[in-house]
Amino acid sequence: MLSESDKATYEWQLDVPGFGESGQARLRQSTALVSRIGGLGGPVAFSLAAAGIGKLILAHAGDLRPDDLNRQILMRHEDLGKPRVESARKTLQSFNPDIEVEIVPENFSEENASRLVDKADIVFDCAPLFEERLLMNRECVRRRIPLIDCAMFSLEGRVIPIVPGQTPCLACLYPEIPPHWKRRFPVIGAVSALVAQIGALEGIKLLAGMDGVCLNQMIYIDASTMRTRKIDIVRRDDCAVCRGV
Amino acid sequence: MALTVSYTGQLSEATGVTEEAVQIAGGERLAGLIATLGEKHGEKFSELLLDDSGNLRSTVLVVLDGSQATGDLDSILLDDVQDLMLMTPIAGG
Repeated sequence: MLSESDKATYEWQLDVPGFGESGQARLRQSTALVSRIGGLGGPVAFSLAAAGIGKLILAHAGDLRPDDLNRQILMRHEDLGKPRVESARKTLQSFNPDIEVEIVPENFSEENASRLVDKADIVFDCAPLFEERLLMNRECVRRRIPLIDCAMFSLEGRVIPIVPGQTPCLACLYPEIPPHWKRRFPVIGAVSALVAQIGALEGIKLLAGMDGVCLNQMIYIDASTMRTRKIDIVRRDDCAVCRGV
Repeated sequence: MALTVSYTGQLSEATGVTEEAVQIAGGERLAGLIATLGEKHGEKFSELLLDDSGNLRSTVLVVLDGSQATGDLDSILLDDVQDLMLMTPIAGG
């Protein structure tokens, strides 16, 4: 059951076919972990907050730097030098005070993997390193928790909705850490936000029980031409992570 | 025969283009095409695609007409393919 306050806030999205009050209620009862809240994870968290997710867990280490501000839209200039997660929480709580926001000033790691994923119904992977991504994938597969893997580079991006046991996992596609990936990547914030919205919507559809989630597909967008493709992807029979799941 | 080859991520950086039309002969296989493209686009391009043994890296996705190719990728026959994507991994945010 939705409260009168929820009905007032989310009235317009209750009219969306396949969503309705039941979808809103399911979203309201859900917890999403967003790993890294930069150019991708920030807009993901913002849209989940707008849609009325019950709880957000934001994991990201470090303090806000000037070169974050071209894309990290949850941050505020006045918070330079302060922890990113605190700036993000302030923005989100002022935008939607009805959701719960838990902050974790740490990046995803072996030490916190179990603790972070344990509390989530869904995980949004927005990390810049494959070490973190593959670890998150492993933990989500182990716990059978859906993972929305979002990534971008320059003027392109891709989203892979991963449902353990039903779809390829990230290790099916990338069984090892790619040797040439570099921590620094070219980025315009609008591209990150564009990719993030695709990821957020796939997650909302999954949580709300809506049809049309792009399972067994990678959604790829080339923002230089705005061409979007859905690529059929396959499970790896010998995947070290999801084989037998 | 003409084939459209698309490059993503660092491959696009290495080639300077996101896609190009490539003429191939009948019976052409992926390994042969990559060797030809390597001569055109240089060492960085080849390094991104191939490991020290000259095999396609396990983290490169090969997409043929919208579907991920699997199996022995080097020996993929390109005769009936119109659209080939070579995708190196991305993780930016």
